Amino acid sequence: MHQSRFWVVLPLLALQLALAASALAAPLKTAAVEITDDTGQVLQLAKTAQRMISLSPHITENLFAIGAGNLIVGAVEYSDYPEAAKQIPLIGGYNQLDIEGLVALEPDLIIAWHSGNPVAQLERLAGLGIPIYYTEPRSFAAVSHELRQLGRLTGKEAQAEAAALAFEEGAEQLKAEYAQQRPVRVFYQVWEQPLMTLNGEHLISEGLSLCGGVNIFADLNQLVPVISREVVLAQNPEVIMGGGMGEATPAWLESWKKYRSLQAVQEKKLYFIPPSLVQRPTPRFLQGTKIICDKLQAARNF
Amino acid sequence: MVLNLLPRLMLLACIALLVMLLGLLLGSVNLPLESITAVLTGQGSPLHKTLILDLRLPRVLAAFATGGLLAIAGALMQVLLRNPLADPYVLGLSGGAAVAALLAMLAGVGVFWVSSAAFGGALFSTFLVFGLAYGSGQASATRLLLTGVVVASGWGALISFLLATSQAHQLPGMLYWLMGDLSHAPSPVIPWLVLVVVLLLLIPLGRTLNVLARGALQAAALGVSVKKVELMIFGLAALLTAIAVTVAGSIGFVGLIVPHLMRMVFGYDQRILLPASALAGGSLLVLADTLARIVIAPQQLPVGVITALLGVPVFLLLLYRNNR
Repeated sequence: MHQSRFWVVLPLLALQLALAASALAAPLKTAAVEITDDTGQVLQLAKTAQRMISLSPHITENLFAIGAGNLIVGAVEYSDYPEAAKQIPLIGGYNQLDIEGLVALEPDLIIAWHSGNPVAQLERLAGLGIPIYYTEPRSFAAVSHELRQLGRLTGKEAQAEAAALAFEEGAEQLKAEYAQQRPVRVFYQVWEQPLMTLNGEHLISEGLSLCGGVNIFADLNQLVPVISREVVLAQNPEVIMGGGMGEATPAWLESWKKYRSLQAVQEKKLYFIPPSLVQRPTPRFLQGTKIICDKLQAARNF
Repeated sequence: MVLNLLPRLMLLACIALLVMLLGLLLGSVNLPLESITAVLTGQGSPLHKTLILDLRLPRVLAAFATGGLLAIAGALMQVLLRNPLADPYVLGLSGGAAVAALLAMLAGVGVFWVSSAAFGGALFSTFLVFGLAYGSGQASATRLLLTGVVVASGWGALISFLLATSQAHQLPGMLYWLMGDLSHAPSPVIPWLVLVVVLLLLIPLGRTLNVLARGALQAAALGVSVKKVELMIFGLAALLTAIAVTVAGSIGFVGLIVPHLMRMVFGYDQRILLPASALAGGSLLVLADTLARIVIAPQQLPVGVITALLGVPVFLLLLYRNNR
C-alpha cells in the first residue's frame, strides 16, 4: 500500500523537479540582456525593457536622448526635459516614491538613481520581483557609458551609440581647443544661502578642467561643501561663475561686486551659467560645458 | 541688592567685549593680530580691511544682537507664561517665520525677500495666536501657552511638508535656515537699535515684572494692571523674536537656557536679569558663531549646531553646583 503510493508519486515529483530546474535555467539561456550596473550588480532581462520607470529627471532625459522616451511608463517629479517628458505619469518624487502607483504601472524595469533614491523603498520594489538597474553617473565618461547601457537595456543600441559618440566627440573637441590654454582660477558658486561650491570630483569641476579652468576648491572632501566668503576673498579667483535658483542672472552674482579687492570684480569676470544645462549628467551637460569654455576664453582675452 | 550684583554685570560685559574681539580675530582665513590693530586704526591691506570690516565685524555684531534679543525674549516669555520651559519660539512664532521663509526660498527670490517673508510670517503667527487666545475675552497664561503650542505644531507639519516636497538642491538652504545661520545676516543696525531701546524700556518696568512673575492674582492684588502688562510683554517678546529670526533663522536654545543660567548667577530680579541675559545671550551666540566658522574651515557649519553643544554642558554644570 505504502509502496504503491510512493511509486505513483515519484514520477510526479521528478517532473516537478525538472520543471523547476528548467524554469530556473530558462532565463539564463535565453536572457536577451545581461548587464552590469553602476553598483557592480549583474542584471538579467529575458527581453529588452518595454515598460520602464525612471527614478530621476536625468535618467528620463538620457532615455529620451537615445530615442527610448516612449518606453517610459512612469517618472518622478521634475522630469521636465524634453517637453514630451512632462506627459509621463508621475510616481512621486525622487526621494519619496509612490510604490503602489509604480507597481500598478506594471513595469518590466526600474532605472534607479543610486545615491538619490531611498534605499528602503528600492529594496521593497526588488522584493516584489521588479528588476532594478542602478545608475550613478559622475563623470563625462560615465554619461556616455550610461547612454550605451540604456541602449542595451532597451534594444536601441544604434541610437545610443550615436548619442554617446556625439557626446564624447563634443567633449574631445572642447578639450583639444581649451585644455592647453592658460589656466584660469575659478570659483564656481552653486548656491548663495548658504554659500556652496563643489569639489574636484563633481562633474562641473571636470567640465571646468576640460575648458582649462582650475576649481579653487577642488581639494575639499565634500562633493558640494558649504564654505566661507572669507576664503573666496583670500583665494582671489580670476573668475566667479555659477548658476543659482532661476534661469535669469541671479542677484548674488551682483552681490560680489561690493568686494573690490577681488580680481574677478575688478576685471568684470563674473559669469552666469544656466543651471538647467549643468545640473544633470545628460547630453545637455555638453552645452553647459561649451558655455563655461566660452566664458573662460572671454576671461583669457580680457 | 541690585547694586551688589553690578560688579558681576560688569564682568559679564567684559566677557562680552572679549568674545567679540575673538570673533573679529578668528575666521577661516588666519590673520595676524597686528592686522586687526592695523585695520582698526585705519591702515592695513584692502583684503584685510574687507575681511574684518565688511565680513567679520557686521557678522559679530549681528550675532551679538540676535543672541541678546533671543535671551530677553525668552526671559519675557518665562515671566508671561510663568513656565520655565517657555522660550521665544514656544508660541509658534519661529514656525510662522520658517514657513514663510521656506516658501520664499521655493519661489526662488533673493535673500532680502526671504528675510522679509520671515518677518511677515513671524508677525502673522503672533497675531494668529493672540487672536485665538484672547479673542474670546477670557485669557489666561495656560490658554495662551496651549494655543501657541498647537499653532507651533501646525507650522511644524507645514515645514515638514515643504521639506519633503522640495528638490534636492534646495534642501541645504532650507536646513541651514531652520538650524539658524548668520552668514547672510543683514546690517546689524536695526537689531541693535531694538535691543537697546527695548532694554531701556524694560528696566524701569522691572519691579512690575518681578511681581507678575510671582503670579497674576498676586500681581493684581498689588495693584498691577495685569492684562495691560501681559499684552505689552507679549508684544515686545514677539517683536524681539521676529527680528532675531529675520536676521539669523530659527536659532534654538539661547532663548530657553540663557535666562535660566542668569537666574542661577544673578537671582530673580528682572531689573538685572534682563540686561545680564542680553549680555550672556549675545556672548554665547558670538562664541558659537565664531566656532561655526572655524571648526571645519573653510567649510562652514550652521550656528545652531554649536549653540546647544556649548550651552548644554555649561548649564548642567551650573545646575549641579547650585544643587549641592
